[in-house]
Amino acid sequence: MALLDLVNVSKRFGGLQAVSNVSFAIEDRAIVSMIGPNGAGKTTAFNCVTGLFPLSSGQILLDGISISGLPPHRITRLGIARTFQNIRLFSYMTAVDNVMVGAHWWMKAHVWDGALRTPLSRHEERSVERRALALLEGLGLSGYAGSYARELPYGLQRRLEIARALATRPRLLLLDEPAAGLNTQEKIELMALIGRLRDEGLTIFLIEHDMRVVMEVSDRIVVLDHGEKIAEGKPIEVRENPRVIEAYLGTGASQEMPTA
Amino acid sequence: MLRFFRRPVGSAQRAQGSTVFWILSVTASGLLLMGWLLPWFVEPTASGIGTSPQDVLLNPAGFADFLIYVIAATMLILVLSPLVEIAARIRKRQLPQIADRARLIAAVAGLALTVAVWLLVRYILGPRDSTLGPIDSHTVTDSAVWLTMYGYGVAALVYGARTWVLSRPNVAFGLVVLPFGALLPLMFHQAPDFLLWAAASLAVYTLLGLGLNIVVGFAGLLDLGYAAFFAIGAYACASFASPNHHIHLPLWVLIFIGAAVASVFGGILGAPTLRLRGDYLAIVTLGFGEIIPDLATNNVLGLTGGPSGISGIDQPSIGPINFGTNPQWFYWSLLILSIIVVLLLRNTEHSRLGRAWVAIREDEVAAAATGINTTSTKLLAFAMGASVSGLAGAFYGSIVTIVTPEDFSFSVSVAVLSIIVLGGIGNITGVILGSFVLTLVIFWILPHMNEWSMTVSAPDHPISFLPGLGTVNFTQYTYMVYGVALILMMLLRPGGLLPSRARRVELEKGIESESLAAVQGRA
Repeated sequence: MALLDLVNVSKRFGGLQAVSNVSFAIEDRAIVSMIGPNGAGKTTAFNCVTGLFPLSSGQILLDGISISGLPPHRITRLGIARTFQNIRLFSYMTAVDNVMVGAHWWMKAHVWDGALRTPLSRHEERSVERRALALLEGLGLSGYAGSYARELPYGLQRRLEIARALATRPRLLLLDEPAAGLNTQEKIELMALIGRLRDEGLTIFLIEHDMRVVMEVSDRIVVLDHGEKIAEGKPIEVRENPRVIEAYLGTGASQEMPTA
Repeated sequence: MLRFFRRPVGSAQRAQGSTVFWILSVTASGLLLMGWLLPWFVEPTASGIGTSPQDVLLNPAGFADFLIYVIAATMLILVLSPLVEIAARIRKRQLPQIADRARLIAAVAGLALTVAVWLLVRYILGPRDSTLGPIDSHTVTDSAVWLTMYGYGVAALVYGARTWVLSRPNVAFGLVVLPFGALLPLMFHQAPDFLLWAAASLAVYTLLGLGLNIVVGFAGLLDLGYAAFFAIGAYACASFASPNHHIHLPLWVLIFIGAAVASVFGGILGAPTLRLRGDYLAIVTLGFGEIIPDLATNNVLGLTGGPSGISGIDQPSIGPINFGTNPQWFYWSLLILSIIVVLLLRNTEHSRLGRAWVAIREDEVAAAATGINTTSTKLLAFAMGASVSGLAGAFYGSIVTIVTPEDFSFSVSVAVLSIIVLGGIGNITGVILGSFVLTLVIFWILPHMNEWSMTVSAPDHPISFLPGLGTVNFTQYTYMVYGVALILMMLLRPGGLLPSRARRVELEKGIESESLAAVQGRA
């Protein structure tokens, strides 16, 4: 059964139909990309999945159970974590604290445990910090644990956002343009990271403009244009789909493919 | 390669360390100066150690006078040393090593000599001994001696253990402030008014500042009506410990009732308003802060006694000690309570909840997407802030024994907000410092300026300069003090006297950040 199911999802902002009647499914342990020209509604679809925007109509199912209408924190707790297109780290918190915020919801210490520094709270803080440091090290951020998020170089901020999302114990990871602003070397590392996360059992759903990354990493690709799904399939199928080429390059260009 | 990006470990800590060093060395000079000048202002005819310099100047007679000259010289060195240091810093020069040693010697010598003269006058030779000269032991003098001795002690600490003060600023600050707080009633045991002031204003406002700091500093929610929760705590105390409803509960039960009632009201206010942010939340809380005193004025449900308030609140007692006749006990119990609150807040700040507050302050949308229930976490900040305020209110009620709606006007909210802005939003040590400075100026120095200016401008006073000074009413300038303090802080140190390490001025980023509700189109 599919892990995530979008059933006729629509989102309307006043007179603007940002997403209309989009349906697709994401299989467990797959890497699915969503592409489309600017303004196609990709990020809006992400925001609908993570509960930031309420749906206008349609349904979103996680493991067959509807999650539409749930608040964002509940959806995160059910196993959908995300990063943002314009990085949204807690800029005046240290890198390790950013990751520990991700662990917030499954930590057990209550308010009074924290206030009284009970053994439960102290042990938990220590063990979560240890895990956060290990996670940072695994993502190549080990030297930066004590730095403020805003002081990290741009590429590492993107990684830190992934680390924070991973700390929420997700099953499905949503990446909103993870390769934006990265150099070639960093993009190669990112693709390796995405593959590694899938091998560890994660399902990954990403929005990306960089076609090399998309083509190389994805199992399936969903193409949006003007809020509608115009194509879906394996990279090779999508690459040759005339509607996709038309959406990207305009009519009459269907014989040439963007190879970038 | 990568290590060039790495922040030097502890650099933020060191920056704050040097601030603490400055504050402590200026405090030391201030205490010395106060010790020297106090009797001169309060009682120009008193004579004793550190008092009436004109007496000693006019007829230098005894051995003690000679010692007092030496003490004065050490005092001068210590009082001038911050100025010298500022001058050195402006000229971008380091003070030579010998300066530190000279200041340490001056501090230790001054301390030793002050103790020696005081013991001589007080216990060994007795007053008016011919070998001593015209000095005397006197109550004002005793307070002055305490201040002087404390000033020397602080100076000895900062100049003698400079590197340690720089490396452990918070410990050093606590080491100076805590004993001073604990000893205050002993220093001023002859001045019950002063003790009542210290308990009612200093300690209560410290508690209020700590409580508001949870809401504004940690969670980043601007609350302009904080006095409402203070009022609720005070009225809860007044209702359960006065002839008004014929209920007489002890204060130790009441503080919990006050805290609980206030936190319930915090939840009631918070639940519908917390989707607002920045300016909008500020306006709603401002309205709440106006409504509560208005309800009290209109004697809602017959509970609040109308404009004249509730009077005859019980004076608490522990066994045979009645707090009404021994006001220092108010002070001490508030001090202990404040220490407990500070410890709990420090722990909370570094716990799971504190991290969630900061995350919401930094980016509410990202916090929600990271699994934090923003509504309940913000509500918790509101309720906890309100409960600390309720505690303070319960104590306030039993100190002043009468609560009226005017006690909780907008100016109280402004005072508390000024305290935390002045001290450093989000930093507990800073808030304590801010409440010290501001309550001292607003509630003690300004009212006493009137007395002093009268004394000083009296024709028979030896330093009778500026005769017009006696006609100025200094208490009129309370709001000017707030205004000037806030403007100066924003211009010179926007983070406050002791900025929190990861400080982000909520007032300055209100526009750029958006609330979760706004993103979802629900606000």
